[in-house]
Amino acid sequence: MNPELDLVVERVIRAPRAVVWSAWTEPSRFARWWVPAPTVCRVDRLEVRPGGGLVTRMSDDGATFVPHLDASFVVAEELERIVFTNTIDSSWHPTNPTPIAMTAEVTFADHPDGTAYRIVVRHGDPASRKLHEEIGFADGWGSVTAQLAEVAESEVAR
Amino acid sequence: MAQYDEAVDGVFVALADPTRRSVIRRLGRGPTSVGELAGGFPMTLPSFMKHVRTLESNGLIRTVKVGRVRTCVLNRERLALVDDWLAEQRATWEERTDRLESLVGELMEEDQ
Repeated sequence: MNPELDLVVERVIRAPRAVVWSAWTEPSRFARWWVPAPTVCRVDRLEVRPGGGLVTRMSDDGATFVPHLDASFVVAEELERIVFTNTIDSSWHPTNPTPIAMTAEVTFADHPDGTAYRIVVRHGDPASRKLHEEIGFADGWGSVTAQLAEVAESEVAR
Repeated sequence: MAQYDEAVDGVFVALADPTRRSVIRRLGRGPTSVGELAGGFPMTLPSFMKHVRTLESNGLIRTVKVGRVRTCVLNRERLALVDDWLAEQRATWEERTDRLESLVGELMEEDQ
């Protein structure tokens, strides 16, 4: 886990694992929660098996659909775990995903109240984050504006 | 939200190139003229200007022309978008899990 780049979401869902799993693996069910309403989700491919495709489209008006996700499943263990990545598309072409490359791992475990549901999303390391650290943000807008004014004034004075 | 995504995408695209990252780094030290910036890179001025325009169109820098000199200034606010980015990703997954949870609730009721 790299706290800078990875994130974890944990939740106890009050339902048996089989029901949670079906919400993840049946296209008609998956489409009902994958994107936020009122945006409509269309599931083109939901092949929950290693190497299977995960392709979704979305529409704001229910008529015109635009690409949303084109990814591949890496791991699929019935009722236990799903891993997919957007770094390989559904036709197994390597991709250059924007804004960032990620692998999402979803685990389902029994819990006294239902299902312990856990997501770990691992992100690539965009150069921009490193750059960010290098530049530092100690001085804010004020000094930049002052510097600009200086430059402009010195130009005028020439 | 879509606009925000586009802005973040633009920032990542602009920062995907080493020349452009060097320009940003240099501008982190203060506004600099295009001529002075270009002098530090082994490329023609037109090629360099393409990079400047990419940075400008994605909102990472502004350019100000005074007389014959064009000066580049870093837009720190736009760069700060990258900072908010992980929080944004987290919110996306949290909300997605909320929706999964409520759908599962509905499915349980249907089954009963």
